[in-house]
Order: sequence, then C-alpha cells, then structure tokens
Amino acid sequence: MKMMMGSSFPEEVLEHVFSFIERDKDRNAISTVCQSWYEIERWSRRRVFVGNCYAVSPAILIKRFPDVRCLELKGKPHFADFNLVPEGWGAYVAPWIAAASSAYPWLEEIRLKRMVISDDTLELISKSFKNFKVLVLSSCEGFSTEGLAAIAANCRNLRELDLRESEVEDLNQSSGHWLSHFPDNYTSLVSLNIACLNSEVNFTALERLVGRCPNLRNLRLNRAVPLDKLAILLRRAPQLVELGTGEASDLRPDVFSNLLGAFSGCKELKSLSGFWEVAPGYLPGVYPICPRLTSLNLSYATTIQSSDLIKLVSQCQNLQKLWVLDYIEDLGLEVLAASCKDLRELRVFPSEPYGVEPNVLLTEQGLVSVSEGCPKLHSVLYFCRQMSNDALRTIARNRPNMTRFRLCIIEPRTPDYRTLQSLDGGFGAIVEHCKDLRRLSLSGLLTDRVFEYIGTYGKKLEMLSVAFAGDSDLGLHHVLSGCENLRKLEIRDCPFGDKALLANAAKLETMRSLWMSSCSVSFGACKLLGQKMPMLNVEVIDERGPPDSRPESCPVEKLYVYRTVSGPRFDMPGFVWTKDEDSALGLS
Amino acid sequence: MELQLALALPVHNSVQGFDLNDGDIESKEPVASRLWSYGGSLESKKCLKNKRSSEEAFGKMGGGVPQISPLMVWSGQPNEEDDRKGQNRKTSSIVNKNEVEENHVVGWPPIKSWMKKQLHQQQQHLGGRVKNDGVAERSGGRNSLYVKVKMEGVAIARKIDLRLFHSYQALTNTLISMFDKEQKFDKNGVCYTLTYQDKEGDWLLAGDVPWQTFIESVQRLGILRNGG
Repeated sequence: MKMMMGSSFPEEVLEHVFSFIERDKDRNAISTVCQSWYEIERWSRRRVFVGNCYAVSPAILIKRFPDVRCLELKGKPHFADFNLVPEGWGAYVAPWIAAASSAYPWLEEIRLKRMVISDDTLELISKSFKNFKVLVLSSCEGFSTEGLAAIAANCRNLRELDLRESEVEDLNQSSGHWLSHFPDNYTSLVSLNIACLNSEVNFTALERLVGRCPNLRNLRLNRAVPLDKLAILLRRAPQLVELGTGEASDLRPDVFSNLLGAFSGCKELKSLSGFWEVAPGYLPGVYPICPRLTSLNLSYATTIQSSDLIKLVSQCQNLQKLWVLDYIEDLGLEVLAASCKDLRELRVFPSEPYGVEPNVLLTEQGLVSVSEGCPKLHSVLYFCRQMSNDALRTIARNRPNMTRFRLCIIEPRTPDYRTLQSLDGGFGAIVEHCKDLRRLSLSGLLTDRVFEYIGTYGKKLEMLSVAFAGDSDLGLHHVLSGCENLRKLEIRDCPFGDKALLANAAKLETMRSLWMSSCSVSFGACKLLGQKMPMLNVEVIDERGPPDSRPESCPVEKLYVYRTVSGPRFDMPGFVWTKDEDSALGLS
Repeated sequence: MELQLALALPVHNSVQGFDLNDGDIESKEPVASRLWSYGGSLESKKCLKNKRSSEEAFGKMGGGVPQISPLMVWSGQPNEEDDRKGQNRKTSSIVNKNEVEENHVVGWPPIKSWMKKQLHQQQQHLGGRVKNDGVAERSGGRNSLYVKVKMEGVAIARKIDLRLFHSYQALTNTLISMFDKEQKFDKNGVCYTLTYQDKEGDWLLAGDVPWQTFIESVQRLGILRNGG
C-alpha cells in the first residue's frame, strides 16, 4: 500500500486529490498515513481551526502548516458568555496575528470567537495581508470603531465583516463615521453584520456602501438604523438574502407603505432578524416575504406579543430556524408546529429571566407540540419554568434525530412539577433515544443517576453543560468514564470533587477542555493533576487571593483544564494559578 | 483525609504510584487502596454501582476505546463523606452586584451577556414598560403604557399596553380574548369585574371615571370573579 501510493503518484496529483478533502478530521487522518502524505498534507493545508488558542502556539502552527489562508481561533471558555470568566483572563489574539503577519502574507480569512483584539491588531491585519477577505469577530472585545475604520480603509478585497455579538467601544461622537472609510472604488462587500454596535452609523456612508456593492447578500444593521431608512437601503440592494433590521417603534402609515413596497421588491430574502422595539403594526409589512423565509430571529423583538407572533409565524411555512422570545407562548408554538414542517432549529429565550413569577404561558407543552409537529427538528434551546419526565420522554420518542438539546428550567433544581421527582428519567430518555446527540445542557432536579444514563448512552456526546446537579463524585465519574467522544465539559455548582477528577485524569487529555466552578475540587487535587499530567494546563481561577493561603482541602472557585502542546501560557493574570509555581515548591 | 494523605506522599513515592505509562491497573492497586480505601461498612452500601470494583469500572473503557490510565484508581465509592455531612453540597456561588441580577446567581439562567444587555437596554429605553414589581411606569415619554393584569384564579399575570386603547369597551374586549384561552368568560353565569389600582394604591372599579382620567392614574389591572 505504502509503496504503491508513495511511488506511483507524483506529489502534485496527491495534492490535487487532497484539495477535495475539507473536513479537519479527514485531513488529520490523511496526515497520519505516512511521512510523504504528512508532508503533502501540511503544505497544502489552507484552513486551520484551533479550538483553544492556548492548546498550541503560533510558532508550532506555522512550522506545521506553512501556507494557511484561513485561520479560525477560539479563546475563552464558553462560560465566559455568562460572565463566569473574570475580566482580563486572557485569550489575546495579538501574538497570533503578529506571527501570521510575517508567516502568512496570503492569509485571507480570520475568524475569532471569544478573543480579545485591540485596534492596533486590527490595523496590523488590515495592512499585513494583501488579499484579505473575511473578518469574523464573534463575541470578541477590546476594540473600537477606530480599528474597524482601519479595516474599512485598507482591505480592498474585503468580502465579509461580521461583528456578531462583539463588544465594540465607541470612542467618540464621530464613531459612526468608520463606515465612510471604505474607499469610493471599493465594491466587493458580500456580508456586513454590525448589529452589535451601540453607536449611530453614518447613514449616508452606509447607503453609498450598500449601493455600490452589487454582491451584497447579508446585511445586519444595528438598532440605531430606523425603519424608515430601511426602505432606502432595500431599494438599493434588492438582491439581499439575509437582513437584520434596526429599530422601529412608532408606527407611521407612510413608512409602513414605503417599507411594504421595498420588502416585496426583495425577491431573494430568506432570513430576517432585528426588529428592535418594532411596533406590531409594522409586521404585516413583511407578510409578503414570509413564505420565502427560512430563518427568523425575533429574539430582540421585545414588543411583539403572542397574537402577533402567531400571525407572523403561521405564514412562514418554509421556516427552518426560529429564534424567539417566550412571548410566543405554548399556543404560538402549537401554531408553529402545525405550520412549519421544515423547522430544524428552535430557540426560545426568556423575556424576563429574573422575574420571580412567570409572565407568559410557556410550559413544557410548547416544546412537546413542536417535537410532534416538526419531523426535522434536531436542535433545541428552550428556556421555561416547568418540565416533566413525561414531556421529556415524549420529546425523545418524537425526535430521535435530535443532535443538540439544551433545556434551561430557570429555577435551579426544579423537579418534575407533576410528580415532584427528579428529571433523571426524562433526560435519560433523551440520551437513550437520541443516538446522535452531540450537545446537551441539563437543568432541573437531577441526581447521579442521570449521569449514569449519560455515560451509558451518550456515546456521541461532544459537549455537555451541567448546573446544580448530581449528588457525588459518582456523577462526574459516569460522564468522564462513559462518554467516549466528549470534548467539552462544563460544570457549575455541582458536588463533584477530587476523586472523580483524579480517577479520570487521563481522559482529560482526550478532551479539549473541562470547566468546573463552584464545585468541590480542592486546590491540592488541582496541583496533583497539573503535576502528573504534563500535557494538561490546570488553571485555578480564584479571585479571593492565592489558593495556598487556604487549607488545601478548601474547594477552588473555578477550575479550567485543557490539553496543550505548547506548555503553560505566558499571559496569565494574577488571579490564575497553575502548577508551575507549585511544582517548583513541591519538587525542589 | 484521603486527599491529605495523597498530597503528603513523598515525591518519589507518588511518582512510582502514578506511573502513567504503566497500563496495568493491578500494579497500582496497593497505592490506590492506601489512598482511597474506605471502612468496610461503606463497602457494603447497597447501591450496586458503589460495589463495582475498579476493574469493572474501567473495564468498559478497555474495549474499543484506547486504554486511559487513571491518575488515581476509582474505588467505586462516591465521596460519601460529603454526602453525609452535606458540607460541600452547599454551593459557593457569588452573588452579583449587578442591579438586574440582584439576588441571583451569577451567570444563571445562562443568557449571553450580550443578549441580557439588549433586553435590559430595551426595557430602559422603553421606559413605559412594567417594572418587575408590576407597577406601571410612565417616565421616558415613549408611546406606550404597560400595566400588569391579574385575573382571579389565573396563575399568570399578563401585560398590556393601555396606549393601544381608547375606551373601556375596547380594553374589555381585548382582555376577554386574552384570558379566554385559560378561562371561559360568562360561563355558567359567572361574570367578571374589571378593577384597577390607582396611584394611591387603592383598588377601584374601572369605568367610574372618564377614560383619560383612568389612563392617568392606573397602575395595575385586576379581574375579579363575581360568584355565579
């Protein structure tokens, strides 16, 4: 085999064949076949995904893959989304961009998630890569509109600028003018997402930009762009496929009719989002395009109540993805189930997450209806206030094709509201029936038993989020010893401790990361884990001061463990503690 | 106690005990049992899982999956001591100082800070929305006046924008259809009375004052059931 492959094909042929293989997993597999495949693969790898920016160093990456065009990096742990990672923790992208700027002059795409990027770094990007095309900053921070101005001014071939849910600082009054830095002869924009910006944008600059980019397909505006201006943009760009609107509070008949006309001119529109504070009276304006919509995100539309949502949703019969606030209520979800047979993804967010009493009639029944009515549904994120084992079992039986199931019952440790039992059986049914489940988030009253089910059945599970659950180390042990494909595990407020962690230490090397906060892991165990597993970085995050100032059996606040080939990181803030200082103490 | 023991081990000893290149769990057994053994009484706990020996516990991983050697051998016992004393059960989540999340656990429910900001901003921006205590707010000068409506016998309170109405009749019609889902109006001769709470906090019958006066003083609405 080896001889045949190695000698009969010239390198160019193999390289050409490899160019059809896109999945990272497949390319990794190719590179392990033999030395020559390894060499050909590494020279021809154009796209690299680094799931944890501290798992490998820029130098190692560049040495292995000398000609990368697309770089995707992830930084902070997922729980950073919920404020659990202290400010200043790390995930700075600067060293990566500095290294790439000299090693990859032909870099075209940078996609970052949960990373810190400065204006200087944005400027470096804008000036270093001759053919730069795509910049996606998802939940990133540390930069301002000034950095964006540099991108606009210098990246002549930019196709996509997507700021997703980033936190962008507005430095001064004229921050909205960054859009005017796109040169007059710049026409290559395909996708622009500025929904996260707080500041007003310079509308004239935006209008001109939209008007001169014939390939613009996706445009997501921020709330500062009023609805009466939207019609102008839509007439300029009737070819739009995805649109995120701005704010639309007061209903004006002239604006409405103008908008209605503009919307009906958009024959390609498939995705809608935005609708900040939209006056319900505007919604009929989008009715004409409803049958075409495949994606609808109404999670910022805090002013649309159940009856209006029902009217809207019932007309979107080709909908595949719906994100909505719980104003839709059980009744609306029932209509959704009856109308949208192609639905694949549903997210229902709480409109009043901190309210003590329910403000809407949204229960387990809504989700049961959708699981019954929508045969293609495979991805769910659902916030509610009550759940039952029966409902979960029904959902599991209805939708064995589920791959992502995230359920958040808002009050921690809420039992089955009918039997007052734990929800172990219900979640057990989910993992048992949904054989392809890759992502799962648990909530409600749960004992170690649910983790036994997960360990037994969750063979394809890749990411698991756990909060306020379990009774003992046994729970964690079931998961770590049973879930063969687990890559990310995040746990908060569970009585899991040293024993389960240490007994499964080597399992952690097969995973990308483990997060545990407000659990029962002692500093002593963290030290031990770090010393014995050199491929793991064991970070104790404790804002109370040095953990060794407390008894070693005292639980640490937060623990973040990840595998790495580049050793300890160099940018740790004062509240992060790792084995290094300690091993010096312990081994000397 | 076990933990202290483990950490107090001299370095050379623990290295021998934790030789990870040695896949043979048996060879580690002595160290492990020294570190993790429990009293016989605990061994005889009823729970089947607890009875599993370490070989059983890790046997599953032997087949198909590459053998993963443990740093410490799982003795099959959960941390009973935590369970019994219940000390570590108490979680140590810090309470956020953030107004919105006051008295709530940080990061729970898990809503992205970005989305939280949107919801929060919106509520501030709107001004006229009902605050969490259910009292109408008029500051902000927006064209809406949300008040909470509570109907006797219905668990969930609703919100309604009074600016959308111009008469008691229109309001009543909407309220009827709003609560109709849960409760049949005028069923079996039962009828309902619309009441409201004014600025002084007094509950009054709706309809006794002109609409405009009502709009200026209403804080909440209540629907009372009159015996049939």
